[in-house]
Amino acid sequence: MTFLDGVKAAALLFVAAIAQVSIFSQLHVFGAVPDVLLVSLVSLALLRGSIVGAVGGFFAGLLVDTATLGTMGLTALVLTLAGYWIGRYGETTGRDRAHAPFLSVAVVTVVYQLGLLVVHFVLGESAPGGAVVRSLIPAVALNLILTAPIYALVRRLLRPVERDELTTEVQLLG
Amino acid sequence: MIVVLVVVALTLITISFRSPTAGALHDAQGVGSTVLRPFQIAATRVAQPFRDGYDYLSSLKSAKAENAKLKQQYRQVRAEAIRNHALYLQALQVEKLAHFEQGQTYPSGFRHVNAAVISYPTGPFTHSLVIRAGSSSGIRRNSPVVGGDGSLVGIISNVFPHTADVRLLTDPNSFVPATDLHTGVRGGVHTGTGGTLILDQVLKQNVVKKGDVIVTSGTRNARYPDLYPYGIPIGRVDSVHARDTETFLEVQVQPFTNFGALDAVAVLVPKNPRR
Repeated sequence: MTFLDGVKAAALLFVAAIAQVSIFSQLHVFGAVPDVLLVSLVSLALLRGSIVGAVGGFFAGLLVDTATLGTMGLTALVLTLAGYWIGRYGETTGRDRAHAPFLSVAVVTVVYQLGLLVVHFVLGESAPGGAVVRSLIPAVALNLILTAPIYALVRRLLRPVERDELTTEVQLLG
Repeated sequence: MIVVLVVVALTLITISFRSPTAGALHDAQGVGSTVLRPFQIAATRVAQPFRDGYDYLSSLKSAKAENAKLKQQYRQVRAEAIRNHALYLQALQVEKLAHFEQGQTYPSGFRHVNAAVISYPTGPFTHSLVIRAGSSSGIRRNSPVVGGDGSLVGIISNVFPHTADVRLLTDPNSFVPATDLHTGVRGGVHTGTGGTLILDQVLKQNVVKKGDVIVTSGTRNARYPDLYPYGIPIGRVDSVHARDTETFLEVQVQPFTNFGALDAVAVLVPKNPRR
């Protein structure tokens, strides 16, 4: 990953995080909120791998926690794990598969919501299980709607890494 | 790398959870929030025309504009009526109990700090707002927050120099001592199952009727001042049930505040800072 790519990825997540807390968090559709930050992170992780996904998730989560004056590190923890996991999927089985972004977003939306529920529950904070479960399907649907345009945007912003750049091969001479 | 990030995140959670209102992390979060504030305001302003456009179209469809205007007028009149009724009841009490120390106070000892909402609840886990005013405006922790129509929104739970966190009435940790304005029955308003507001701790022999207005109780004992002054409208009684197996009535309250459509709020800051 080049320096320019890093700057682009940071800018993307920054804009997505600010948009999420200031704009998209107000859009309630059937009890769910579209998560532009999560979809952006998934797209980034799929295109750039687990390390970029984890680091991006961590700092994007910190931004959200800071902007919403929430418990510091909470969103960062869940997004770090989500970014890493999707990054690993992108590096292995998900590579070059057209359905990978949609599958990743659908799965990570569910896991992210349930992960937040568990963390909030462990911390003794409000953890409305019923409301979260009821909002899962609308949340997945909303995020899937966002997936195609955001993935296309991220793919345009960050050129997909060639196979040769990802794999390290041993060339036998002689 | 992943292990390091997870450990750092867990450390931050631990520090933040142990001292949510003070300490170096709190200060750093305040600085970060201040730095992010212009970006959040810019994002809100960018989105505002789209929101306005959407609102305009939807209002054309259902004559929402006229309805909202009438509702606004109704809220003002209702707030005025509640205020007058509260003052009337207070005057009656003062007249009757002139030799007792008057405990209840209407928010006359407060000044308003108006603030725009810059961050909204991000999901079902959060019941708080971030507002664009903080300790530099005189806001401090546990200051009551009201909406545009004067009804209760919540309380300040965390303060930074230029921003503050408002814990909404719908937060499970919120508990507001409240009074039925018509019958004088007292109880406590908090969130019940399914996110509805309930007036709790009301004995079954007391009378609470559907449609009664519920307001904050205010201070009953000068030695233990309440966080909320007397007379702030909370909501209207939606239903009353008495179960044989329960000691208290089950009173559901419909809040006056629409928590999903708050663009600006007013923080009640005591004029006397020693309060």
